[in-house]
Amino acid sequence: MVFFIRRLLLTIPILFLVSVMTFILIHLIPGDPARVILGQEATPEAYAALRHQLGLDQPLIVQYFRWLGGVLHGNLGMSITDHVPVSALIAQRLPVTIELTIGTFLVAALIAFPAGILAAVRKRTWVDYTGSFAALGGMSIPSFWLAIMAIIYFSVKHHWLPSSGYTPLSHSVSQNLIGMILPCFATGVRESAVLMRMLRSSLIDVSTMDFVRTAKAKGLGEARIVLGHVLRNAMIPVVTTSGLLVAGLLGGLVITESIFSIPGFGRLIVESVFKRDYVTVQGAVLVSALLVVIVNLCVDLLYAAIDSRIKLGKAGEA
Amino acid sequence: MRTKRLQAALAAVVVGAMFTMAGCSGGGSGNTGASGSSSAASAPSSAPAETSGAPAGGKVLNIGINADPPSLDPYASSALVDRYVQNSIFDKLFDLDKDGKIVPMLAESYEISPDGKTYTLKLKQGVKFQDGTDFNADAVKFNLDRYEEDNSRRKNELKFVDSVTAVDANTVKIQLSQPFSPFLSILTDRAGMMASPSAVKKYGDDFVNHPVGTGPYAFVEHVSGDHVTLKKNDAYWNGAPKLDEINYKVFTDGPAMVQNLRSGQIDIASDLNGAIKLIPSIKDDTANFTIISESGMGFQGIHLNVTKGPFTNKYLREAVDRAIDRDAFVKVLFDGYASPGNSPFSPGSLAYGDSDKYAKPDPDAIKALLAKGGKPNGFSFKFQVGTGTAAQQFGAVLQNMLKPYNITVELEQVEFGQMLENGTNGNFEALQIGWSGRPDPDQNFYDFVVTKGSQNYSHYANPEVDKLATEARQEQDPTKRKAYYNKAMDILHDDVEYSYIYHQNNIFGFSKKVTGFTYVPDGIIRTAGLDKQ
Repeated sequence: MVFFIRRLLLTIPILFLVSVMTFILIHLIPGDPARVILGQEATPEAYAALRHQLGLDQPLIVQYFRWLGGVLHGNLGMSITDHVPVSALIAQRLPVTIELTIGTFLVAALIAFPAGILAAVRKRTWVDYTGSFAALGGMSIPSFWLAIMAIIYFSVKHHWLPSSGYTPLSHSVSQNLIGMILPCFATGVRESAVLMRMLRSSLIDVSTMDFVRTAKAKGLGEARIVLGHVLRNAMIPVVTTSGLLVAGLLGGLVITESIFSIPGFGRLIVESVFKRDYVTVQGAVLVSALLVVIVNLCVDLLYAAIDSRIKLGKAGEA
Repeated sequence: MRTKRLQAALAAVVVGAMFTMAGCSGGGSGNTGASGSSSAASAPSSAPAETSGAPAGGKVLNIGINADPPSLDPYASSALVDRYVQNSIFDKLFDLDKDGKIVPMLAESYEISPDGKTYTLKLKQGVKFQDGTDFNADAVKFNLDRYEEDNSRRKNELKFVDSVTAVDANTVKIQLSQPFSPFLSILTDRAGMMASPSAVKKYGDDFVNHPVGTGPYAFVEHVSGDHVTLKKNDAYWNGAPKLDEINYKVFTDGPAMVQNLRSGQIDIASDLNGAIKLIPSIKDDTANFTIISESGMGFQGIHLNVTKGPFTNKYLREAVDRAIDRDAFVKVLFDGYASPGNSPFSPGSLAYGDSDKYAKPDPDAIKALLAKGGKPNGFSFKFQVGTGTAAQQFGAVLQNMLKPYNITVELEQVEFGQMLENGTNGNFEALQIGWSGRPDPDQNFYDFVVTKGSQNYSHYANPEVDKLATEARQEQDPTKRKAYYNKAMDILHDDVEYSYIYHQNNIFGFSKKVTGFTYVPDGIIRTAGLDKQ
């Protein structure tokens, strides 16, 4: 409990710093939303009027604290370019990316676990070499290329799966899941390679430990030893990697989202940066920072669950 | 033994999963195995919105667009992509026909006073907005007055409108402060779009999320960055549309739009300029698809800053302009899907003249110009282009074309918003910005060339050109207008404040299932007549 409260309190300065950094960075980029909104037909008068209307003619510090004041009242502000509350945009986009992240991670895990375990158990045999070679291939294949190839094969050639779009879960669960197969697969394959290599090396490390030799001496079967003992002890680095992977995916699926025309969170951030929609960028980055903090917290909790020797809240932990 | 086999099988599955795609890619193009029956039954299409009024089994048409429409309210709109969707929701006072001629739409007929300052419009009767509000003279006055407000993006287009009067229910008198011949053509675009006054009053600033017009399709929902859904307007004055629902789907990635056309997820790709190299893959499939590629009304080229840097020297501007091989440019960049040119006016425009023709580069003439400009051994300049691949290629092609004359091009990639800023402030030496084009020549000309014009990024100033441009926009007689434009272009081709290179094409990809399409030269799809088999 103490651990929890301490972590949550720590979140506040982190988020504050993130918001200041984001604000400074986005305002450092040349160009401003009024130009983007008005396009080529902007007369100087129209430009000045719009800047005033958007409050962009105020000093930066005033703009920041005005925004912060809104946030403290639970109001992320209105999108500069879309005329809708930023919170509504995030509420629309974030669940999509969370679903995509979960799907991608599942695909990655479903490939990585069997492959990683096999490679570790049969290390330095053709099984291991094949697995490692495939993992290297998987890491080397850019996900956008894999995505386009998957679209050409599964959608254009065979019409098995849709090539784009997103159906909300509330509308149709089956349509939603069918639409998620290709994007999750295209990104998951690459991520699985990272996970698999981590799992393999971690398993090999653990399998040289004394307790494994003891278990073997007791006559336990290989499957029991690996799945019952070694795997659990090898999970700490894998969970760390998975946490990083999930945190990265939450904001980093923008390429997959673009290729499959999925209205996700990553695309929202990137589009908003291009449009210089400061308010949306700040709100979205704040939320993604919060998500990373939450994911890290979950990782810590998982550590404790995996290894009972880890006690949360002890000095030097977390 | 058995576990060995199991492991081998597992390994095979893993390797297979990682390399399946690599093995059966089909190379992306020349895909001969494309099945001939891309039907909605075999490909699960993305479901329509819950709020949609489309009956089950109704006709749904999906149109790919290349960006999310930032504003569906004509009052606030400034993006080209908005106009695709707006043209389905809103009718305009006037429209263009297939030849680019101006024809009445919500207006029934019109009269222009001999001095060119008073426009009297008779309106169509019995027309209703999608929310049931009557369309009449008061509605026209309401819209035009609204478009003239300070925060309206239409204000500049209507700046010569002095007053709008509803004479009676079906007659509107528009008084201009000076004759302005592009006026009717401006009413074929956003400034002529009629929005429901009651919806505007009801929603205020939020009208952008609830647009209501008199058009063939009514707004249902807009999921930002994903799609806009419209449904059939049964009470449409020009006969009920044939489709139950239209979805405009956003594909920011050009190749993704192509693949979605081929897979049947969309029926029309509204702009294939972002995937020129993939056009053959659609074109070859003549059983299922049609490509329409027509020269648009816009132009592309390079602003040369006449106020600072090397291009203060007229001869150096001319040297660069003459060294550009326009035919090769279009061939390399667009595989021929664009029209080489040397003019702000496309060949179909009334203003197009003899001086707008272009010649192949003549090395001796270019060397002579360099010598005249005091740089016989060449010079270098900084060239700002956009951030996309196409912009990069544009820069690379120019570099190669100028290299033989020792003219070095230093590329700088800049985002669009920043380019506009640099253009406005004159912070550049050469700048690649073009124009999507408008039907009336004035709208592709005046603001670009007159002193302190809002799009005169070259900062060119020439009283004679100013005078000709003003006379051309005030003259009613087309023959005389053409003469003014030709005279002005003679001067500009000599001064080369802007090097015109080509006209973008409007390139559409259609599924053969779509019928009833008529091409309009502004490149915007009119959906009223569309049907789907």
